[in-house]
Amino acid sequence: MHLRFSHIVMRDPWFVIGCGLAIVFAAATFLGPPLAPFDPWDMSFTPISPASARHPLGINDAGQDILSELLFAVRNTVGFGLVSGMMALAIGVLIGVSAGWFGGVTDMILMRVADVLLAIPAIMVLILTAALFRPSPWSLAMILALLIWPSVSKGVRAQTLSIRQSLHVKAAAQIGGGKWYIIRRHLIPELYPLYLIGFAAKARMAMFMEASLAFLGLFDPTRKSLGMMISYALRYYYMDIWWNWLLPPILCLSLLIMTVTFLAISVEKVLDPRLREILGEETA
Amino acid sequence: MVVTFCLAALAMIYLSYALPRLLPGDFVTAMYGSSQVTLSAEEEAELRAYYTQEPGFGSYLLKLGNLDWGYSYAFLRPVAELFFEALPWSLLLLGSAHILSMLIGFVTGVEAAWRRGRLVEKGMVGGMTVLEGIPEISTGVLLLLIFALHFSWFPAAGAETAYAQVSFMGRLANIGHHLVLPLATLILAYFPGNFLLTRNSMMMVIKAHYMTTATAKGLPPRRIRYAHGARNALLPLVTRFGLRFAFMITGALVVERIYAYPGLGTLLFNAIQARDLPVIQGVVLMSSLMVLAIILSLELVYRFIDPRIEDASSF
Repeated sequence: MHLRFSHIVMRDPWFVIGCGLAIVFAAATFLGPPLAPFDPWDMSFTPISPASARHPLGINDAGQDILSELLFAVRNTVGFGLVSGMMALAIGVLIGVSAGWFGGVTDMILMRVADVLLAIPAIMVLILTAALFRPSPWSLAMILALLIWPSVSKGVRAQTLSIRQSLHVKAAAQIGGGKWYIIRRHLIPELYPLYLIGFAAKARMAMFMEASLAFLGLFDPTRKSLGMMISYALRYYYMDIWWNWLLPPILCLSLLIMTVTFLAISVEKVLDPRLREILGEETA
Repeated sequence: MVVTFCLAALAMIYLSYALPRLLPGDFVTAMYGSSQVTLSAEEEAELRAYYTQEPGFGSYLLKLGNLDWGYSYAFLRPVAELFFEALPWSLLLLGSAHILSMLIGFVTGVEAAWRRGRLVEKGMVGGMTVLEGIPEISTGVLLLLIFALHFSWFPAAGAETAYAQVSFMGRLANIGHHLVLPLATLILAYFPGNFLLTRNSMMMVIKAHYMTTATAKGLPPRRIRYAHGARNALLPLVTRFGLRFAFMITGALVVERIYAYPGLGTLLFNAIQARDLPVIQGVVLMSSLMVLAIILSLELVYRFIDPRIEDASSF
């Protein structure tokens, strides 16, 4: 399954574009802050000046260099999305595998909790905690992960149930493999395509949430974020700041969400067996 | 199903009851210490007396039921009043956006699947995939720039023109005019997802034998497409109807803020700016409960209409 999967997915143009964009954003995340021309918290420049050779994107209303702000903001948004996506995936896989493997009461309780969490609008819990406690972005990422794992665990659970019935797992049990051995050697590796889907979908959701929360002003105001940059720039939308202040964070945010969306859609397309049958003509 | 939603509602109420009590120190200090509100000495003493009497969870529930959600010192009005003033606008925006994005996504999805393999279909799928990747913050700001600022076709803020003395029909037209941009933003953000979903399920339906039979009977193409095909492709969309509504909440908060639309999102934003905790708490709790109620009733209605949902639901 692994080989065929990577083979098919590599031929999907969306996957290739998504990967290309992901590499660009990875570079911006790691190289951006050291390469930023100025300290993004330095407020010593002339406020609201247009783009110039020294400041390619001009200066914002607080006298800070916008390009440097943007590079730090991309890093923060990407970091939030990756951390939250990774944690949601880990929790989701852990719970999905336990529910699917152990079944019975464990399964019932875990899936009931998952259903309840699916119904609760995550943004509302985040707003409440953020407004009351003003937690660090990492705590918020963790809270978000605790709220959005259920859809991952549902997919993982279903797949676990079917793998559990498959012949090679039965054979592994026949040769005396313990349950941890089977989970480790067969179950966890075989679920790997689901990890990609789950991670891409959750990271997308987390980045979007981060931008929205920052836009609504729920993060520490000194923390650079794409959502917050848009929110601040929007206060001056009637002025001539569109090209240098408002559009760059919008473009970055859109490209970022696009990256994860493309990856999520292409991976899902290739992995959904019913879809693969139909799309087979096009992709393979 | 009902139990799940009741548990979810209870969890939300408990969170909103317990979280403020976990705040370190005095609740009144924590609440107003950093807000823009200045309290007089009596007000502070009154609040302190109010918050130090420890009501149990039961009396908290009772207070919620009596619409006693606290008093906003930033807006100088009871929270319930603020909430019910903003609610109709949010429901109007969200409801129409949700229904329209479902309808548009469904029809375009069916039509695209019908033209599978053709250039039109490939172009549409490509376009929708790109659109799906553009968050509503971006769409909203761009539409604001183009249609409100550059062309001045639509108003940039508000839900109706203030103090305008107009007839009933004139008022409706005015409200519609203000609704266009926020509505378009939400639709553009959410119909691509519905499109992709419908197209994928329609692609499967098209291969079914009953479609060949319908064609062989010589039925008109539109009838084959909708009466025989699309009806069966509706199921995945219907099972996600409630879930997608919940998704839209985050978007609606942002879009309302962009267009200063006087709904719950703007109220919440203003409350966050003023660090007005009673309002934040009330709006968050009540809108979550409302979302739960809406999703639950939708699900129940659909289950009643189409019993297949019971098995197909991934919810």
